[in-house]
Amino acid sequence: MRKPRGEAAELNRSPSFEAEALASLDSLYRTALRLTHRPADAEDLVQETYLKAFRSADRFEPGTNLRAWLFTILHNTARNRARDHARDTVTVDSEAVERADISTATPGDTPETLLLRDTLAPDLQAAVDALPEVFRQALWLRDVEEFSYAEIAKMLAIPVGTVMSRISRGRRLLFNRLQHLRPAHV
Amino acid sequence: MSDCTSIDPLITPYVDDDISAAERQRVDAHVRSCPPCYSRVAAERAVRDLVRARRASLSSDCASAALRDRCVALGSASARGHRGATAIRWQTRMTPFALAATLVLVVGGAFLYVSTDRSTRVLAAELTADHVKCFGVMNTLLGTSADRLTIEHAMASTFGWQMHVPEATPGSGLELVGARPCFYAKGKVAHLMYRHNGHPVSVFMIPNMVRPGLAATAGIKDEVVDVMGHEATVWSSAGRTFVVVAREPEADVAQVVSFVQAALK
Repeated sequence: MRKPRGEAAELNRSPSFEAEALASLDSLYRTALRLTHRPADAEDLVQETYLKAFRSADRFEPGTNLRAWLFTILHNTARNRARDHARDTVTVDSEAVERADISTATPGDTPETLLLRDTLAPDLQAAVDALPEVFRQALWLRDVEEFSYAEIAKMLAIPVGTVMSRISRGRRLLFNRLQHLRPAHV
Repeated sequence: MSDCTSIDPLITPYVDDDISAAERQRVDAHVRSCPPCYSRVAAERAVRDLVRARRASLSSDCASAALRDRCVALGSASARGHRGATAIRWQTRMTPFALAATLVLVVGGAFLYVSTDRSTRVLAAELTADHVKCFGVMNTLLGTSADRLTIEHAMASTFGWQMHVPEATPGSGLELVGARPCFYAKGKVAHLMYRHNGHPVSVFMIPNMVRPGLAATAGIKDEVVDVMGHEATVWSSAGRTFVVVAREPEADVAQVVSFVQAALK
């Protein structure tokens, strides 16, 4: 039997809802910073995300991932803003980027352990930030924020297969860039 | 043996160990005899492990105290509004922003504003957050000036809204500096910006909306809410709701509110 709307809303809104939502503030901000590149814009985006989240808290389904729900709102908001401010944004031909040949085959070379050993944190940060946006988003959400493919697909409004493809290409691009930073290549 | 094309979409879930046992066996068998695919798996795995190992340094950026306070205030306002608290005034801890000591006058105009049954406190909190956001984005506006008729014409031609913009006079200490549409709730909000004694002032107006309990039969009955370090004054008049948000001494705020109320009669 369906619950009356008010009752369902009351159940959805646990006393800890706000506290639990606010626990994701830092990770939302970090992700917003990667989307906007400017702290002021990132703060603006996060604040709007919380406004929307608190406003539509009754629509959150208890038992599902609140953090993923917040990230979905964040990315939806960022997409809407980009649409509204299209003239201010750099358009990335994501399809062209995705078609780009990314070769990682370097016969005779076994660089993986060297990569782990040699890469400095600032270099990694710079290389991640330099990735094309579509790949950076997917890689960040998977490898830093540890969301599932399905959760990322919902956040970015793309198919799961595209999520995996972007993660893959993002990793390979990052690998190539970091390879060029290794001492042997300097 | 599977070819590279059929294996390709399985590489990433294979690296992430998010793959069925049967598919894992297929990839295992393939990469053992395919150096390019082996190399690709190794590269993806190396990057994944590297990023995960350095996650702490990649995640060193934290939200500022000011942002945290604003978001906490939004959560508090939302929770209190939802629970129907009766207290009118509430305080939040607020780290001073760059707009400290500014006076903000907000007379809200939401053309498609969706009236809700949430509390005045929530309305005030959201408008105050909107104000902070707008001034953060539009701070450069504060060095300019505009005339009332230009703004009224722009609002009428752009939105079809015939509005009366409170005229700024030297005696009132108010100076009109500009206007812009903002997004609020599910509609657009006309945001009029003033300076009051040199400090930034914003004006919004919400047509076709009357807050419950604020529709005075005689005179103007307003409600004051302290939110995010600002003081929000909310009233309804002639089928519209107005909100004034200020971060100034109470007497100054009252003076500006009185001026706007008189100007809008």
